[in-house]
Amino acid sequence: MQVQYPKASWTDRFLLLDMLEGLKTTFRQLFKPKVTIRYPEERMEPADRFRGMFRFSFDRCIACKLCAIACPIDIIYIDVHDETREVDGKSKKIKVLDRYDIDVKRCMFCSLCEEACPTKPKSIWLTSKTYELATYDRNDLYFNMQELEYWDDRPRYTGLPEDDAAQVGGAPPKQIPGGSE
Amino acid sequence: MNEVNPWMQYLIWPVVKFLIAFGIVQGVVAGMTWIERRLLGFMQARLGPNRVGPQGLFQIIADPVKLMLKEDIIPSSAERIAYFLGPMLPLLPAFIVFTLIPYGPPPAFAVTRVNVGVLLILAITSTAVYGIILGGWASNNKYSLMGGLRSAAQMVSYEVPFGLSIVGVLMLAGSFDLVRIVQYQERHVWNFLPQLVACFIFFVAMSAENNRTPFDLPEAESELVGGYHTEYSGMKFAFFMLGEYSMMLVNSCLMVSLYFGGWTLAMGNIGLTTAVLRGWGFAGGMVGLLIFVSKVMLFMLFYIWMRATFPRFRFDQLMDLGWKWLIPLALVNIFVTGVIVLAGGEKFLPLIGAAIIIATIVLSRRPKAQRKVAHASPVSEG
Amino acid sequence: MEVNFGPQHPSTHGVLRVLLRVDGERIIDAKPIIGYLHRGTEKLFEHMAYPQCVPHTDRMDYVASATNNLGFVETVEKLMGIAHMIPKRVQFMRVMLSELQRISSHLLWLATHAIDIGAMTPFFYTFREREEVLDLFEAYCGARLTLNCMRIGGMPDDLPPGWLDDTERFVNKFDAAIDEYESLLTNNRIWKRRTVGIGVLSPEDAIDWGITGPPLRGSGVSWDLRRALPYECYPELKFEIPVGRNGDTYDRYLVRMEEMRQSNSILRQCIPMIKTTPAGEIKAKISRVIRPPEGEVYHSIESPKGELGYHIVSDGKSQNPYRCHVRPPSFVNLQALPALAKGHLVSDLVALIGTIDIVLGEVDR
Repeated sequence: MQVQYPKASWTDRFLLLDMLEGLKTTFRQLFKPKVTIRYPEERMEPADRFRGMFRFSFDRCIACKLCAIACPIDIIYIDVHDETREVDGKSKKIKVLDRYDIDVKRCMFCSLCEEACPTKPKSIWLTSKTYELATYDRNDLYFNMQELEYWDDRPRYTGLPEDDAAQVGGAPPKQIPGGSE
Repeated sequence: MNEVNPWMQYLIWPVVKFLIAFGIVQGVVAGMTWIERRLLGFMQARLGPNRVGPQGLFQIIADPVKLMLKEDIIPSSAERIAYFLGPMLPLLPAFIVFTLIPYGPPPAFAVTRVNVGVLLILAITSTAVYGIILGGWASNNKYSLMGGLRSAAQMVSYEVPFGLSIVGVLMLAGSFDLVRIVQYQERHVWNFLPQLVACFIFFVAMSAENNRTPFDLPEAESELVGGYHTEYSGMKFAFFMLGEYSMMLVNSCLMVSLYFGGWTLAMGNIGLTTAVLRGWGFAGGMVGLLIFVSKVMLFMLFYIWMRATFPRFRFDQLMDLGWKWLIPLALVNIFVTGVIVLAGGEKFLPLIGAAIIIATIVLSRRPKAQRKVAHASPVSEG
Repeated sequence: MEVNFGPQHPSTHGVLRVLLRVDGERIIDAKPIIGYLHRGTEKLFEHMAYPQCVPHTDRMDYVASATNNLGFVETVEKLMGIAHMIPKRVQFMRVMLSELQRISSHLLWLATHAIDIGAMTPFFYTFREREEVLDLFEAYCGARLTLNCMRIGGMPDDLPPGWLDDTERFVNKFDAAIDEYESLLTNNRIWKRRTVGIGVLSPEDAIDWGITGPPLRGSGVSWDLRRALPYECYPELKFEIPVGRNGDTYDRYLVRMEEMRQSNSILRQCIPMIKTTPAGEIKAKISRVIRPPEGEVYHSIESPKGELGYHIVSDGKSQNPYRCHVRPPSFVNLQALPALAKGHLVSDLVALIGTIDIVLGEVDR
């Protein structure tokens, strides 16, 4: 199919109607609704499947390491030891999770780990609708098992980099102005 | 008693009036940056600056403060003196010209009245280009140099149609005095009707003079990064912008004075003529000023509207347009106007302009031919 | 005078560097220098299991990741000999996603191309619609840009409820949106002056350079892999292949605009067709561990920018590709830049970079 070339009559060309056409479009736009989302006050509600921050459930996890295997960039670190425990009167050998760390700063949020997880419901999932992951310190984005399970709303914000020298360790999270609450 | 103190008449009052005008102009320029960004936003389906203060109005203050506090970087290989002079030079002509424009009924609302006002304005504004060339060259950056050279060629060559387009008006009004030109317009019709073609040429040439879209080649962000002001930062950059906006304002003022009846709202001596406004005393003068400013604002808004709509010309095409189209057209316009004026047919000139405007409106409202879509039959139902 | 155009320049679409030799503003020689975004994706593939490669393909042409995914998974499926087992629903979903991706990629192209030539408003208008496409992607797979939305042998998920209605809503209003962009550009005399006759590429040259996609079709060669080597369910769909006549920037512009309309029409056809396929059939019955037999295969698809090909060699033993070579359309099309730019002005160079529609992530890989 041959593309069509616009043709303009000489009157149109003389009277600059092609220019007027564009001017009309921009003028009409003046009165149309605007699409800007004023971010800190207005937020986009992510879709249900939105791949955001991880959440982990220790109780559901069976320590099978499938997620760590599925991860294309190997950022899930799992340590497991075997333990013999009394379950329903029988002694049973089960795997106990010692370490479940995710280096979120390197994560590319492909959700292959979630797909690999065999438990139902999944013990690691990304559909937490949280996308505000920025921190001032890259180390804040290394999450261990407890942090993965119990973060509230967003990863901890530990202040500006200058503050860090003064507050080593668990500084209380400061309120971000214009936060989501 | 009637003795007028020459000191008052020739020094104090002009200076006071100039300072007032200068203050207003600077206010308008600062306001324009906000209006431009806001309006541009609206035309582009977004909001523009709306954070600082109500409706983002304090942006007007925040921007200069930011620019003043910014580090002033001077490239190590720059030509110091010229680099420093670059942003200053375009400001001077812009400020001087503001003393030559009548903002309202004279003498109270004109800083000075020069009987060759138009010529003087043309002469002074054309010096603005030096600063840009100097700045572009002194930055010692290839992109800046290209921008500077482009602007040199552009501004010099567009001086010609700029000047030629005015000749028709001068012939009709028979004077170089802006006040006389305005008064001619209130007696007859606003000059844009008899001189529609000249008005168009003037408008195009003044956009080109000001480096505004679609003629913003000297700064052409996507080609030359920033053109002549690539290397400038902080207050020096602000001066370039100030100069540009001031020139925009000057040219809009000229446009209004020459073609759109200046401070009057009258044609054929009916309406708010100078005499009527004078009759109201100072209040009438203020009304005249208000009319003038609103007309100027309309043109400033049109600049923004054009910026939102048009792509940018290429350098050689710009030259083509200037030399091969606008100048011949301006010359033809002078010839036709001259012949008609000599033949005493002045009254028929507005009809030509009116006919062109009506034809444009009629033709632009005609329904567009329906676009033939290749997959005309809706396949999905099939 | 020698001018370094890029790698940090507003209109080189990333980190392309063009070493220009100019005479005044006229370009004597333009030499593209690439590699600033090289990440060794092909080598990375060799150390990854096949399913793990898919998210990495996203990052090559990062404005058209669905088609990148599609090319890779189809190549692996072909290598494994399971291409015929792909369920109908999966095929439709893949086609819909890649057509949406084509629209979104072309919208981004139009935005940047227009802003390079100085018209800044189309940028915002196109992004308004592109955002809606990205919303559709987000609703389907959870990501907006790097989608990772295809799996070897199927799709990660079924369509979410309401997705088809949202798509239909978008499709119905998109034609009007294209008209809006065109009203700003197509007839505009400045736009025409900046594009007509700029960077003329003759059909013979285009074929000799190996150029594919809209630049080739702009030169009048009706070559589209969706027709020439059909994949997925394209044979069942009706669409036209727009071709230009003069091979200049304006023709390439018109071709891409028409392609968006055609993609929109494909989407419109797909919506009722996908409703007839059984829901939930989104995976071919293959083993979880993907270990293709020994052999090699080259497969290519029509990405928004041209022929995107993958050449995968499998040794039959490991779960990793032995070698994976990508034939990226941007890289091949970029070859024509020096020839196109010669004799034009610096202003035209930005128009030419825009019209070739390169994505540096794909050029450098």
